[in-house]
Amino acid sequence: MIARRFLLAAVPALLALPAHADDTDAARDLVVTLGRQLSEVANTAVTAEERRAAFETLLDGAADIESIARFCLGRFWRTATPEQQRVYTKLFRTVLLRNIAGRAGEYKGVVMEVGKAQRREDDIVVSSIVNRPGNAPNKIDWIVTAAGAPRLIDVVAEGTSLRLTQRSDYSAFLGSHGNKIDILIEALKAQAAAPG
Amino acid sequence: MRPMFRPLLLMIALVSSTLLAGCAVPPPGNDPEAIAEFKENNDPLEPANRFFYQVNDALDTVLMKPVATIYRGVVPKPVRSVVHNVLNHIATPVVLINDILQGDKDRAGATISRFIVNSTLGLGGVFDMASDLSIPRHDADFGMTLAVWGAPEGAYLFLPILGPSNPRDGIGFAVDTFGLDPLGWVGRGAAVHDLRRARTGISAVDARAEYLDAFDEVKAQALDPYATVRSLTRQYRAARIGEAKRDETGAVKKSP
Repeated sequence: MIARRFLLAAVPALLALPAHADDTDAARDLVVTLGRQLSEVANTAVTAEERRAAFETLLDGAADIESIARFCLGRFWRTATPEQQRVYTKLFRTVLLRNIAGRAGEYKGVVMEVGKAQRREDDIVVSSIVNRPGNAPNKIDWIVTAAGAPRLIDVVAEGTSLRLTQRSDYSAFLGSHGNKIDILIEALKAQAAAPG
Repeated sequence: MRPMFRPLLLMIALVSSTLLAGCAVPPPGNDPEAIAEFKENNDPLEPANRFFYQVNDALDTVLMKPVATIYRGVVPKPVRSVVHNVLNHIATPVVLINDILQGDKDRAGATISRFIVNSTLGLGGVFDMASDLSIPRHDADFGMTLAVWGAPEGAYLFLPILGPSNPRDGIGFAVDTFGLDPLGWVGRGAAVHDLRRARTGISAVDARAEYLDAFDEVKAQALDPYATVRSLTRQYRAARIGEAKRDETGAVKKSP
């Protein structure tokens, strides 16, 4: 009897284990899962539209797009009106998805080896080596939030950060367009609507 | 004047002309974030740099991109790989010298192993067998060596033909090309001169063909391709220098 009671008590404890696991493990799991799902989509989805929709679901689930969008607008986020922030974030998401889905062909046959996850300041860096057929292996770091549920906030390919590069693009564009956020929004609308 | 010095002189003349062509206007003093960004971009010569970016972009559109596209379309992938491998193989001595100058015994050892493996099993550099045996290639050039020695980067420079650079990498390029290049030791005759010129041309096409899609993507997706190229190349370079300075665990490599 005692044994059974002990067993019953142990079951919820065992089930609760993943929640108590180190947050670096959770970040690593997120990247492993995302990598597997991305390659599944790239290798199975039939039409371009299906693929786009599947990428959208994956990205919304794994990444904190709002936080990435805010980072990319940099110091202009605070000067933007709430309405500008809303429109910008929505367009940012559309353009990002479009760019990712547009490269789906490149993800075919890709094999990702996920390495270790390390804490760096407020975030967790999950390192990986991505092997693309016929290409030299690439070092890709996935930056995942440490606080709260793990969410992807940046991808660093061979030392180049996606969001840092994007921020410098937007800020240079704003700089040469009188720092007017509405002009950036117009440019993003054009990008979101462009064919391909 | 020996002909080999002509490109160097031309480069110096062009660099000094960019210096005279005008400076970027720093943001007003009451905007600390804008000033921080101005400093971070490290691009006080931006107007001149943008001009040369436009020149290079035009050259790329009418010359390099079409040639690289034809090269990729006509020459089958295995042959292009051979060309790429041979170019890398010829450059091995320059990499080794810089590994040594950086005091990096591990990398120097890897470079020697690569050279031996690829010279023998790789049939004189035709195949990169070393990479298959998990001795991957790494970059090492004199600009990187100067960085490891602690030389500052200097202001961002977009050089005609050569593209994104800075004074440290510009000097590094000149030293690698005119000082450390083994073809320069063989002799200074016309044959060597032609060989070097041919190699420069083939290297340019090989590099351009490799980045054909990546370049197009940057140009298509960036709102300000100049700024995006500046950000990407500076981040990439800083990462490679970081790898040369630190080992896998992130600890600073010890000097021998």
